Amino acid sequence: MTLTEPETYIELGAPLTDAHDSVWQRLGQCGTWWTGEQRVAAMAEVRQALRCALCNERLEALSPMMVAGEHDSVSELAPEAVDLIHRLTTDPGRLSKEWALLVIESIGEEAYVELSTLVCVQYVVDSFARSLGLPLRELPEPQFGEPDKVRPEGVGDVGAWVSQTIEKSLANVSRAGSLVPETEALWREIVQAHYSRGPQFAELVWDRALSRPQVELLASTVSALNECFY
Amino acid sequence: MLRASSEALNSEVDLEQLEAGADVANGELLVRYAESAVRQDSDLGRVRAALEEQVGPGGVIEAAATIAAFEGLNRIADATGIQLDSGLADESADFRAALGLDAYAGAVSTQSTGIPARAAGVMEIFR
Repeated sequence: MTLTEPETYIELGAPLTDAHDSVWQRLGQCGTWWTGEQRVAAMAEVRQALRCALCNERLEALSPMMVAGEHDSVSELAPEAVDLIHRLTTDPGRLSKEWALLVIESIGEEAYVELSTLVCVQYVVDSFARSLGLPLRELPEPQFGEPDKVRPEGVGDVGAWVSQTIEKSLANVSRAGSLVPETEALWREIVQAHYSRGPQFAELVWDRALSRPQVELLASTVSALNECFY
Repeated sequence: MLRASSEALNSEVDLEQLEAGADVANGELLVRYAESAVRQDSDLGRVRAALEEQVGPGGVIEAAATIAAFEGLNRIADATGIQLDSGLADESADFRAALGLDAYAGAVSTQSTGIPARAAGVMEIFR
């Protein structure tokens, strides 16, 4: 049996590693609604969520809302923000609109979207490393700055839980984070590198190391395991 | 996308046999790798080695990249409560119920269940 050493995957997957390098440092920069320090604190919470006793207990429960308690937090972020990060990390398929609206009421709609998008970008990078047996990256150094808290124009209610770009040019999932364009740009970059790769997305036959049906089988399996309807 | 891309290669997939690999080449092993990676099972290294024997290191990297992408895509969709695109609702209308997908919590976010219809291409699915 041949097996590539995990470190060799870094060399073979250089284009992805480059994308990760680029995105990772910018996750530590000041965002539109959260400071760099808060964003890096959120990243620490993403990793902590996988060791959180409350999250583990909720995963075993019929409904996560049946189990009260406090998360094993490692930051000074507001409890509602910590709850968002931990639940999105460990149990995304059972989030509800009612719960989301309570979190949004507490931290604000734009801050909710920025934090969610940040969690998702980090989860992609961390998941890639775990899947290949690679060590997780060290968290980025938080950068200074004050969030400008500017809400973009052209966003509104398009039937999701949060406001998004009204103009629909691509899939709904591609505008999910459009309420916070700067962080959404990191999200788009990472998805492009990992999966859609520009105009190739529109082609049903791919010239990659795996065929498109093989890639889509993986996608379907992950979505089923996460009980993701979309 | 799984069905459409398989048809483009003149092959058929069995969507009801997803766990068995749905008749995709190396499908069963790919599914095992995805399961092991998502659940962080203790056999992940062994499954990855078995997959590498079949698809090579480049195939393993592509698989890991896809798994990671959808771990993120699932989460952004669930966190923001987006609806199915109308083309996607139509495209999946004939198998969602059979596969139990309509029972997922996120299903309540989509108002239209869709009318069974096949899209002409990828971009038509996401209209």
